[in-house]
Amino acid sequence: MFLQRLNPSIKALTIMILVVLLAFIFEPMTPLLFLIWTVSITFIFGKVNFKKYALYFIPFVIFSFGMLWTSVVFADTPKNQDEIVVLLGMAYPRETLLTALALSIRVLNVAALSLLFVFTTNIVHFILSMMQQLRLPPKIAYAVLAGYRFLPMMRDEIKLIHDAHRIRGVNQAKTVTEKWNNYKRYSIPLLASAIRKAERTAIAMESKGFTGDKNRTFYRQFTVKKTDWLFPLIMLTGFLAALLAS
Amino acid sequence: MKPFVEVCDLSLRFETNQKNIFSNINFELYQGETVLLLGPSGSGKSTLTSCLNGIFPRELDGEMDGDIFIDGRKVSDYKPGELSKKVGVVFQDPETQFCMLTVEDEVAFGLENIGVPHVEMEAKIDDVLSLVHLSEFKESNVSTLSGGQKQKLALACILALDPSLIILDEPTANLDPIATKDVIQTINMLKKKMSFGLIIIEHKLDGWTDLAERCLLLNRRGEIFYDGSLREAIRDQRLQLAEQGIWLPKISQYLLENNPELIDLPLTVEEFTEYPSKWGYIEQEKSKQNLPVQVNPILETRNLSWSAKKREIVKNVSLTFYEGEFVAIVGANGSGKTSLSRILAGIQKPDCGNTLLKGKPLNEWKESLLRQEIGYVFQNPEHQFITNSVYDEVAFSLKIKNISVEAIQDKVHLILEAFGLLELKDEHPFSISQGQKRRLSVATMIVDDQSFLLLDEPTFGQDANSNAELMHLLQQRHQSNSTIIMITHDMEIVDHYATRVIVINNGKVVADTPPDRLWEMDSRKLKEWQLELPVRVQIQNIYEKEKDAYYVFTTS
Repeated sequence: MFLQRLNPSIKALTIMILVVLLAFIFEPMTPLLFLIWTVSITFIFGKVNFKKYALYFIPFVIFSFGMLWTSVVFADTPKNQDEIVVLLGMAYPRETLLTALALSIRVLNVAALSLLFVFTTNIVHFILSMMQQLRLPPKIAYAVLAGYRFLPMMRDEIKLIHDAHRIRGVNQAKTVTEKWNNYKRYSIPLLASAIRKAERTAIAMESKGFTGDKNRTFYRQFTVKKTDWLFPLIMLTGFLAALLAS
Repeated sequence: MKPFVEVCDLSLRFETNQKNIFSNINFELYQGETVLLLGPSGSGKSTLTSCLNGIFPRELDGEMDGDIFIDGRKVSDYKPGELSKKVGVVFQDPETQFCMLTVEDEVAFGLENIGVPHVEMEAKIDDVLSLVHLSEFKESNVSTLSGGQKQKLALACILALDPSLIILDEPTANLDPIATKDVIQTINMLKKKMSFGLIIIEHKLDGWTDLAERCLLLNRRGEIFYDGSLREAIRDQRLQLAEQGIWLPKISQYLLENNPELIDLPLTVEEFTEYPSKWGYIEQEKSKQNLPVQVNPILETRNLSWSAKKREIVKNVSLTFYEGEFVAIVGANGSGKTSLSRILAGIQKPDCGNTLLKGKPLNEWKESLLRQEIGYVFQNPEHQFITNSVYDEVAFSLKIKNISVEAIQDKVHLILEAFGLLELKDEHPFSISQGQKRRLSVATMIVDDQSFLLLDEPTFGQDANSNAELMHLLQQRHQSNSTIIMITHDMEIVDHYATRVIVINNGKVVADTPPDRLWEMDSRKLKEWQLELPVRVQIQNIYEKEKDAYYVFTTS
């Protein structure tokens, strides 16, 4: 798919620019139109699984509704107090409502842009591309990659340590303080093994010739092709169109 | 000809330690030569590896004296990363030597580091993967590989850099016997095809003796006390080998116990088979252990099943364990041994079926009372340490029971003494050696007089001495009428100590007999369950075969 094949760095940069641009819009129409645009692009060019997308979108919807509510209730006194909108039997100043809507739709829009990126990008490819296009130092890039491998290992380890402590007759935690104390006890063996593992990995990487030097070749090469510029073009056009239409 | 590796008067000390890790190390290694580096844990073998591939002294917090020359140049004169083209290392832990997610990326990582052009990479990756027979896994995730496959991948990564010397730093310590064999075979095969030199650091010699004639022996203080042929070392340095806790090959060890007068010893079973009578084997009846009478059931399970991730791991297991038994649970990796033991110990709830301890279902026991009955020792001892000193560690389960301080002190003192840990009582549990950690983890599990002890592979990755000490302690416990259940891959232990052996295959109990009965079973079945005969039985079989042949010869 087009979105998946896109250069990850270009994709990330485009999205960052759009998020910044959105921050300058204070009326609800432009973000609303652009939200529709973003979601359509995600599904047309990304073939994203709808169910999964919806599931990830729900928390943002809740958050943005909360945002809407608080900005209506705790708004400054509007300059123009006469214009009143009646909604669900309650009256609101029109100006307050519009600002609140703008804010909450902006949240949704940022969420949609992020999900577009997350659902269509392989994290490893993104990091590799950042090294090749954005001059991310290999030291940081490979540290992140190695850490990414560690996460599931840590999860298994926490479970193991939990069981081991149970075996020692540590009572099952019931209150919050007990739980907190338990986690404090887990932290030392967990950290000790994490540090040891990290050290071993570092030594293994170094003995394979890794120096953190920027001068390296790449097995998976990421280049910026002409078609990669289509994405920023499409998105910015969409944004401008939304701005003009509102 | 100049030696490829030359180590002169090397000694090294860590900042945190008073004593040297090793001192006065001197040896030479020629291009393509293979050498075994043997020594007890803590003799500095792995540290020496880091010196040889140039990580020390660059990354060292401490002092290093002496020189190492590789290919005629001082190690410190190489630029960082440059030495990886000369010396490659396969490390012990299969989990932590990779940094990429897929097999091909991992091999590529090394190539990228040394700047191999993009166009040549693909071919090189395919090449080394086919060398270690991992071609079909090229696009697989590293985490889906088995331990043995991971070690072969590590080897492939190193081969891709085409070094002249490969150091294997206990590559099979974390593998089961089948995977171990596979890795050793792979290396054997590669060695025949290619000309790299090899330094093999190992605890257990079995399987490696065909590869290397020469060996370097280190003692506990980190000094080389022998440099020469392995066969001669076993002939002449026997006492010192035993003193330093260096394993002999199983067959040599067994024959020696059988007949301490022997001078020459075979190193492999094959060598023995060729001419059995040459080795002066004295046939002996195994001193029959009195099998305990199975009268008082202590733990009973009925139709246990458990699945994880939609895969049935334990299938319909019904077992009864009696007081005073020493049970070994054996089976291939992933057959469900550990899961079963966790259910028996009440850490994991089964999906169906129930477990009765002393006639009362496990879930009706109060957790703290249950733990006074059952002790469970994890595969990794570090996981179960909770406190900051060895003493507190042992005292922990007593302290939460409100026993008087003096009583605790006496008891802990006794246990620490019995386990040889008394001098270390103020140390941090994480800072003691691997064997000591293991003993400590067992000590914490029996301080409360637990009479039912479950152990998950307690002899993994230990040197001969700590292993013998541990088994001795367990045997003592057993003789004082404790019930011991132990998961193990080591058939010698099963043969020597167990009174009953349970074989698990694909989550099911497929055999449950005294060990002697198991060895008599159909060899095809044993192979299917990935079990090997212990050396004693192998020898016996060979000997009997020869006797039969002789009989046929004389009567015809």
